[in-house]
Amino acid sequence: MNIYDVLIRDFPFLLKGLGVAIVLLAALLLIGFVLGMAICLIQLYGPKSRLVQWPLKAYERIFRGIPIIIMLFIFYYGISGVWDISAFGAAILAMGLRSAAYQSQIFRSAFQSVPAGQMMAARAMGMSKLSAIRHIMFPQAARHAIGPWTNEFSSEIKETSLAYVIGVVELTRQAHYIITSTQGNVLTVFAVVALLYFILNRAGNSLLYAFERKLAVPGFEK
Amino acid sequence: MVNDLILDVHDLKKAYDGVDVLKGIGFSLKKGETKVLIGPSGSGKSTLLRCINYLTTPDAGCIKLNGEEVLDTNIDAMRARMGFVFQDFNLFSHLTVLDNVRICQIKVKGKDKASATERAHQELERVGLADRAEAYPAELSGGQQQRVSIARALAMDPDVLLFDEPTSALDPELTGEVTKVMQQLAKEGMTMVVVTHEMSFARQAADEIIFMEHGYIVEQGAPDFMFNQSTHERTRAFLNVIAEHG
Repeated sequence: MNIYDVLIRDFPFLLKGLGVAIVLLAALLLIGFVLGMAICLIQLYGPKSRLVQWPLKAYERIFRGIPIIIMLFIFYYGISGVWDISAFGAAILAMGLRSAAYQSQIFRSAFQSVPAGQMMAARAMGMSKLSAIRHIMFPQAARHAIGPWTNEFSSEIKETSLAYVIGVVELTRQAHYIITSTQGNVLTVFAVVALLYFILNRAGNSLLYAFERKLAVPGFEK
Repeated sequence: MVNDLILDVHDLKKAYDGVDVLKGIGFSLKKGETKVLIGPSGSGKSTLLRCINYLTTPDAGCIKLNGEEVLDTNIDAMRARMGFVFQDFNLFSHLTVLDNVRICQIKVKGKDKASATERAHQELERVGLADRAEAYPAELSGGQQQRVSIARALAMDPDVLLFDEPTSALDPELTGEVTKVMQQLAKEGMTMVVVTHEMSFARQAADEIIFMEHGYIVEQGAPDFMFNQSTHERTRAFLNVIAEHG
């Protein structure tokens, strides 16, 4: 088996795996975004009561402190015992919830890097807290967040490959199938797979960078 | 008589960590009046100003705007009627000058975009910045930023404008362009409370100067009286020091 076989005959399988990886990535980032933003906003602007803040802190610490492979096993075997969940579903859930913990901290420091005077000025003009967060704080925090968020995006792309351990047929597992069913050249297959991850990563990074440039406000960064 | 009182502050108190910063302050403001608050650093001037619109919540006392009491529960509506100009401008950095002057008209007062835009252009014209509408705050000088922030406050049709050391972050030349705008406003009958160290502004624009120290109002009176016939030694000493250095 040579590179030609991998590129022509087996490539559709790899693309299919890549597709699964992209869907997994999109889903986990979306869950992470929505939940992470909610956690961040409650941590910064919600009730200061320990009853509210403590569970959020615990959540964030736990999900950032446990290896994702362990988390995948716990979610898959833990949940499938009581509820019929696919490996794919379990992977989305575990990785999404973990991403939320990371994203909440990215957003939190982005909001905190907006000068306090911005919120004060908005409130002094009669804006409600919610309106000030939405129209004044969020647009500025979002600009601060894109850079660090790009890092999270990059590492999550790479970590989708770990979903392989609970049987999600994503790119890495497809590669494995090709190798075992064809007794193929391990190195060639994984080289192509590596290239696919790399291209996806670069494409995403370039897009996010372009987005960051587009949103740039004169004199705002620094 | 009560009817033309725009702002009525009564027995305002505030302490930080057990230190009394305001020890029972009262003053009132009629429509069209400009009052200037002066006093040494730490005398409570800025705290007083911030208590009026609840940026700092007072511990005790009563504030009435046009006869209506300012409370926690109506604070957003009350703030929309009190313009506030900060020492460090606090323009919204992600928005153009035009949007800075427009956004609260739309999001707070519910005006449509066209009329908010028209009003924004009027106010920018008034502060001499009609040609900078598309610039971002970081592209402006400090004096220009402060004039935009005055336009932003004016566009809300406030009953009263509160200025918290509006020129303290500016060099003398830029200070001049800001005080010129403020003097013009005073002349046009805007109701204003101004915390400042700019004595020339106080002398020319104030209907009354209020001298504060240690959380009390020591003395208040017309500029002529305060500068020339003050009966309190502290007032005279303070004004002398300012005159030497300012």
